Amino acid sequence: MFYRLSGVRHTSYPAARQLWPIAADRWQVGVLALLALLAPLLISDLYLGSYALPWLIWTAAALSLSLLMGLGGQLHFGFAAVMAIGAYSSIHLARGGVPFEFALLGGGLTAAVIGTAFGAAALRVKGLYLVMATLAMQYLVDWVISNVPAISGGAQATLRTPEVSFLWIPIDSLDARYYVALLWTVLMTLFFLNVKRTSFGRALAAIRDKDFAAAVIGVDPFRTKLTAFMTASFAGGVSGAILAFCYYGAVTPEQFGFNVSIQLVAMVLVGGLGSVVGGYLGAGFVLLVPIVLTNLIAGLGAAGWFSISQNLTAHLPLIFYGGMIIGFLLFEPLGLAKIYDNIRKYFLVWPFRHSGS
Amino acid sequence: MQHDPQPSRDPRILHPDWEPGDTLIALLARNARTHPDGIAMRERDHGIWQQTTWAGYLDAVLALAAGFEAAGIGPGDIVLVTGDNRARLYVATLALTALRAIPAPAYSDARPEELLDQMIREGIRAAVVEDQEQVDKLESLRDRHPDLTKIFYDDPRGLGAKAPAGAAALADLAENGQARLAAEAGLRDDLIGRATVFDTAVLLHSSGTTGAPKGIPLRHGHVLSGVRNAAAAGYFREGEEHMAYLPMAWVGDFSFSIAAAIELRFTVNVPENQETALHDLREIAPTLYFASPRAWSAMLTRVQVGIAETSGLKRRLYDHFMPFALELERARLAGRKPSALQRFWRGVGDVVIYGPLRDQLGLRRVARPYTAGEAIGEEVFLYFRALGLNLRQFYGQTENCALAVAQSSDDISLTTVGRPFPGVEVRIDETGEILLKGGNIFDGYFENEKATAESLRDGWLCTGDAGQWSDDGQLMVLGRLSEVMHKADGTRFIPTYLENRLKFASAIRDVCVIGKDRAFLSAIVCIDFAAVGQWAQERGLSYTSYAELSQRPEVLELVRREIARLNDAVPAELSIRRFVNLHKEFDPDDGEVTRTRKLKRGVIDARYGQIIDAVYAGHDEIEYEARITYESGETGVLTRVLKIGDLDGGQH
Repeated sequence: MFYRLSGVRHTSYPAARQLWPIAADRWQVGVLALLALLAPLLISDLYLGSYALPWLIWTAAALSLSLLMGLGGQLHFGFAAVMAIGAYSSIHLARGGVPFEFALLGGGLTAAVIGTAFGAAALRVKGLYLVMATLAMQYLVDWVISNVPAISGGAQATLRTPEVSFLWIPIDSLDARYYVALLWTVLMTLFFLNVKRTSFGRALAAIRDKDFAAAVIGVDPFRTKLTAFMTASFAGGVSGAILAFCYYGAVTPEQFGFNVSIQLVAMVLVGGLGSVVGGYLGAGFVLLVPIVLTNLIAGLGAAGWFSISQNLTAHLPLIFYGGMIIGFLLFEPLGLAKIYDNIRKYFLVWPFRHSGS
Repeated sequence: MQHDPQPSRDPRILHPDWEPGDTLIALLARNARTHPDGIAMRERDHGIWQQTTWAGYLDAVLALAAGFEAAGIGPGDIVLVTGDNRARLYVATLALTALRAIPAPAYSDARPEELLDQMIREGIRAAVVEDQEQVDKLESLRDRHPDLTKIFYDDPRGLGAKAPAGAAALADLAENGQARLAAEAGLRDDLIGRATVFDTAVLLHSSGTTGAPKGIPLRHGHVLSGVRNAAAAGYFREGEEHMAYLPMAWVGDFSFSIAAAIELRFTVNVPENQETALHDLREIAPTLYFASPRAWSAMLTRVQVGIAETSGLKRRLYDHFMPFALELERARLAGRKPSALQRFWRGVGDVVIYGPLRDQLGLRRVARPYTAGEAIGEEVFLYFRALGLNLRQFYGQTENCALAVAQSSDDISLTTVGRPFPGVEVRIDETGEILLKGGNIFDGYFENEKATAESLRDGWLCTGDAGQWSDDGQLMVLGRLSEVMHKADGTRFIPTYLENRLKFASAIRDVCVIGKDRAFLSAIVCIDFAAVGQWAQERGLSYTSYAELSQRPEVLELVRREIARLNDAVPAELSIRRFVNLHKEFDPDDGEVTRTRKLKRGVIDARYGQIIDAVYAGHDEIEYEARITYESGETGVLTRVLKIGDLDGGQH
């Protein structure tokens, strides 16, 4: 209805490859960017700090994993461990006096090196076997962090993040932390959008679809797979570091446990593999829906709409949440991004049913 | 040497007010000087729209002109131009006019025999064509027309080293010309200055509904005067986005894509090919759009088919808003103003339905949509006006650059074609014929004194159309004067008038009304295969072919209802009593209609005489032996039983 495709024409090849050729899409992106920038003015600190901020950071993390799983087709069930490596190494670097900007990079690089080492398993195994290999990474990293006091400061210890500043601005207020997270997520989004139209992105897609067929047409699976693990692990590591510095403020090994890895996989799957919109929607869904459901049921219970036991009030949201995930995957296996896409196309061909009539 | 019909009609005497240097090529040079980086042309090629600036356009024209000259083309040479719309064919057309040679465009689907006749009649020795297909067509004529020595082609695919003797690529010619321009100082200015306003800019042809097509030479002065008249009346604006998709051999394409485009600095967009034109239309989103009534009607059908299969909400919104807009438009044409509430609701509809539909069709930016050529159906006309397009009708012929009379925005009516352009005079003589006078009227047919004398009287162009003035001073066109026929009892009727009204029905593609010297009128109907096929599918009627579908009783009943509706609207003595559904469509390849789908009555009367006799003999059906010409040239005979339908009182 509001999409206008007439007059969209390209007079050069770069113009034909632009990200948002349709004005209505540019307009939507612009409005969303503006809302994100003005969020600290528009919403209260409570919502900013406990909803918007984690949503952004988990989106960046989900996008990192989606790069590997969605674009490259390499399953990874130990991504929380990658984030943990990034978080712990950047904290140690920052405590050692390295500026925050470089500590983030250092965290990313450490995660990239270790992540790539485990990713090397992908050169030999695929599918469920790769899942096992990455699960091994999850448990190994967990074990090492918990049992090496030099890293975690002891099994039950909490490692506080030091006071840091980013580009000479001290990261102490909520707004500053929000903007750092926003910057990283936007960078990650732009990277993801653009990587799809690079030769690396196309090589990844070829590997995902069939790796030996890709090898036949000249894509080097060895290099491509390792680069994929390295890129995703780097991004995951930085996301972990941002999570530690901007959101948690202190880290414990449990924050990066196996269940977090599963949550990340859920974000990517529910959102839609290999989709940017899916990254945002998936992270939002996995993170926010349980909270919303809990509040809703607690609110309804308190308002006296129904009386249920305390125990059930705690579990009911989880039941609904699980049901919703099953429902989404049942009705739209390609995730929330596909639902968004369907809605967009509904309006794109308005008032017809399909294009090309 | 230009082909002037006779010295007494020297254009210098006929048009004393024309400036000699006022030529298309000089105007192109002006554009290149004032707007060197403005976009003159876009052509879709290799997936993107390749752009040409005015400076680039001029350079290309001059290079090709220099190349043509080196290849032996000189003043007065008539050069055949044929092919689909291509940027380089427009460049070649202008390059020829720069050399004072005469481009003679021909329809790209013209039969070889038609081309041969034209080439022999006009002494054509060179041709500029689009691609290998056209080269092959001309090559097959060479043994019968050995004078044709030079063929220049645009698209080298399939030719290359295999090109026949005498054929050369335009690109090579342009390269050669470029070298000449670089080597010879002063050649550039010489080429720009050679042509004069009195030179023939293009040699077009009448459609040849009756007999051989007549050559219609139009001078620079004619087309420029026509364009300036139209611009003065606000029908064209400067800098329009224009899509060049209509046949280059049609006068409108020369007037719009070359003359108006250069005079008013249009950006001319050339679609990739005919098949992608609709898709490309959406990418271009022109501001000026011209289409034949048939094309508008096809567009409406496209929308209706799309809506018929769309999902619930969208269809319900359409079903609410479209009739509302139609009602509003009908009231507006009747002179009633919409209320504030109606205007508001129309605004809502514009967001929900009309705007998106215009966008889907690629007409979002069209401020000046036009139609001409034949009468447009009331339903179609109203529909697009209701959609928010200011659709208007033009009236004109090749002889006056198709720019003579048009409707203005504020007094549209369904029955009139509007008022004359400033600079054009219109008179209706005592026989009811429409006469036109103005700077855009041609000076006479190509080497055809007799025809010239018939159509030009004291500077007035006899259009051959019967017309009259409406009460508010607008011109009404009734039909061809020559087509006025009389029944046996002397009742006057114009078959095309009845036929056009019948053709507005979606079920009927073509129809031929018969009744000259007969007791009553009857009709030979060609159903519209797509529309009736769809109609039959919805009702679960089975059919295997056009012929079978046309003879189904349900289809006969459908056509009968359409004819009955027409009979209600016309005087009783003009009602059609009997009809027959033909087993095939009229086909230009069988010579039954022209390329622009005008009926050739002589051919139809002769070929279907058997059927017509049966209709008037009162039979209920006729066993007709159809003679079929296969593509291989062999002929065969097929026997078909055609049912003859009666309307009330048909047995009288």
